[in-house]
Amino acid sequence: MVRRLAGLKARLTWNGVRGDVQRRFGLPIALILLTWLGVWLAGAYIETARSLQSQDPEALAEFMGWVALFTFFAWVALPVIIFPLDENLDPQQLALLPITPNHMITGLVVASFIAPSTVIPLLLIGANAAILTAGWWMVIPASLVFLGLLAVGSQLFSASISAILRTRRGRDVATFLVLGIAGGSFLLYRSVSQTVAAEGVTAAAASHPIMQWSLLLPPVAAQQAIVQAAAGDPIPALVALTAAVVGLLAMAAAWRKLLGWLLTTPEQRNRPAARARRSGMAFGPWGVVPTLARKELRFYVRDPRQRLVWTGTVIFVGLAIGGVVMNATGFFDFREREWAPLVAPVLVLFVGLPIALNLFGWERNAASYLFVLPSKPRQLLLGKNLAVAAALVVETTVLTIGLALFSSNWHWIWLVVPLTVAAIGCQLAVGNLVSVLAPLRLPREGTDVFAQSTEQGCLAIVSQTVSFFAIGLLLIPPASVTVLTVEFGQVINPWITAAFAVVWGLTLYLLSLLLAGRLLRRRMPEVLAWVQVS
Amino acid sequence: MVFVAAYFFGYWPHPSILGEVTQPLVEDPTTDSVEAPPAVWAKGLVRKFGKTVAVDHVDLSIRPGEFYGLLGQNGAGKTTTIKTIVGLLRPNEGTVGVGEFDTWQSPTEVKARIGVLPEEFNLYERLTGAELLDFTAAMHGLSREEAARRRNELLDMLDLSEEGSKLIGDYSRGMRKKIALGAAIIHRPPVLFLDEPFEGVDAVSARLIRSLLQRAAQGGTTIIFSSHEMHLVEKLCTRIGIMVEGRMTIEETPEGLCRLMGVNNVEDAFIAAVGGKTPDDWSWYAG
Repeated sequence: MVRRLAGLKARLTWNGVRGDVQRRFGLPIALILLTWLGVWLAGAYIETARSLQSQDPEALAEFMGWVALFTFFAWVALPVIIFPLDENLDPQQLALLPITPNHMITGLVVASFIAPSTVIPLLLIGANAAILTAGWWMVIPASLVFLGLLAVGSQLFSASISAILRTRRGRDVATFLVLGIAGGSFLLYRSVSQTVAAEGVTAAAASHPIMQWSLLLPPVAAQQAIVQAAAGDPIPALVALTAAVVGLLAMAAAWRKLLGWLLTTPEQRNRPAARARRSGMAFGPWGVVPTLARKELRFYVRDPRQRLVWTGTVIFVGLAIGGVVMNATGFFDFREREWAPLVAPVLVLFVGLPIALNLFGWERNAASYLFVLPSKPRQLLLGKNLAVAAALVVETTVLTIGLALFSSNWHWIWLVVPLTVAAIGCQLAVGNLVSVLAPLRLPREGTDVFAQSTEQGCLAIVSQTVSFFAIGLLLIPPASVTVLTVEFGQVINPWITAAFAVVWGLTLYLLSLLLAGRLLRRRMPEVLAWVQVS
Repeated sequence: MVFVAAYFFGYWPHPSILGEVTQPLVEDPTTDSVEAPPAVWAKGLVRKFGKTVAVDHVDLSIRPGEFYGLLGQNGAGKTTTIKTIVGLLRPNEGTVGVGEFDTWQSPTEVKARIGVLPEEFNLYERLTGAELLDFTAAMHGLSREEAARRRNELLDMLDLSEEGSKLIGDYSRGMRKKIALGAAIIHRPPVLFLDEPFEGVDAVSARLIRSLLQRAAQGGTTIIFSSHEMHLVEKLCTRIGIMVEGRMTIEETPEGLCRLMGVNNVEDAFIAAVGGKTPDDWSWYAG
């Protein structure tokens, strides 16, 4: 049965690549990107380990323990907070088949490795084996257990978040959960980078031993098994391996229980506001564009994934600012700069990018409902843009006030308004074109709300990165004019700067609206075919 | 500011849409049907998926006020034909349209004149039933007051008053079908496309939908209807088109079809027309 599930995943992956142009493009890109990342990580790991091996073998063991732990946490948490790594078999579709839960769990774990992203842990495991060649007899079993831990841990974590998002109360706390994960990761990163910077890798690893806790940390235990085997201690190696296996089984049991709950518990939908319940959309702005914008805004609140996009990215932007502010000196020391609030519109560009660049992808199958309505393509774009702009304005306002309070500088606060127009104009200008020319298919919501194929996850990252740089390029003129005004003694009159920023943003936006509208008119069936989920 | 500018550039809703939509193309389909353009038409329509020809040179001319049944086995090309006419699927060859408008030359004009009940419910699951009706009405250019009036009437008529405030994601299949039908007719379109409207619907809802369609047809609405419920096709349709492997093989009235096939009812006529088979060896199942 396990073999059949793995075969099913392989067949689905192959059929997906064969029948989907997006995946045909995405798979080579994904493989190249992931292999490059894997080789880079493995190379850095081997290099550091070799230097430790010659200096302090004990520190090497601790270093390897930490690497195993970080790899595990990164693998588990990244799909949720940044982008999904792999679209696995949907347990919902297997629920009626005569498969025992244990077979299903094992089959799902094995099937999850049939994906391009597996190249990263495989390269890291290869690097591990290359460093500790003396422990060869333990490398294969310990590595298999470690891979199992990655797969089960990641599934357990995604299933937990999906379970939380299934209940109304859970959705209310999901934001704080993501905040916790993101905040925790950030603090961990800060702490590690500061320690390594202050003490060096060798001293930092030696002064922060983790191997002593290996029996309580299954990924570290798997690594400990190899380290002990390499050191010629078979008994401790086997004990560590047993601890790792026990951890793996415990996680698998928890995942199995959670999956059982997910498969038998329907999603609790958000209750619409009392006013909306009574009166539909009859109150508030009316007309094609405002009504479409209101529909979008309701989805930002009611769709857990969209809500996470809007809240999660704000958290990241906040943390990024925190990081910059904490370390900054000289020009970037925001506390000393009276233009600090003006950074808000630029930072907000990070927010909502997955939505602004994929306006129709979020419609999923409902795009066929939208496209059969008699609105002009430009009206559709305008309605969706209005919603994105409204959300961005709210977030810019919050961030601006935060930065102004932090830096106690309110002098240039008025200039945030034209800069916001320019920034949002540039973002929407690029977003409209990307949404029409390269929409991304989002997965159907199953038991894992984060499921997405690696190829499309990579395409999303590539598309967002390229678009982000395009937006950045478009923002250079208004940003330069602003810098000349606020940092160089008002070389340019502030009112001219403000007018230029507004005109720049509006012109780009209107040009893009015109062009994207024409393209959408011609490409509506193609966009529909891209975004529809089978 | 962008949106104010857009308003002046003419991207804001145009109140005239309502007037255009609610005017049937032909007031009385029986009087000047000879001169009126067909309500729905296709000329040499071809649609391929890779090497598979889903719709193969189909010609269609449906007169205003007709209740047209589009029949065929699964995969015969009915849904593809409908999707191509309503502008969701681009044809490889041929032209399609509604009234005087070509779907691919004037898509907005065509969409303003049609209501569509699709086979699959691709509705907004996170809107309430009432919100979906309001949204659709607004997108069709109805005024706020008119939309509210029609929404309330439709919810009553479709027996969804209680459920109007629930999210569509929480609806049963029958309720989804009814709300989708409500959304398809809220703007009183002169042409209605219904793909399997009775599939998975309980008897009470089916009767409700049937009487609603009969009323629409009596009011002069052209209805293009695809279904596997032959007794309903026989009861409702004024003309039937049968598709076999992407081709339109027969177009007749229900009585004409029965006569042509030498049988007593549309179901037998349909099976005879498409060459239905029964497997002769069921031994593995019968034991």
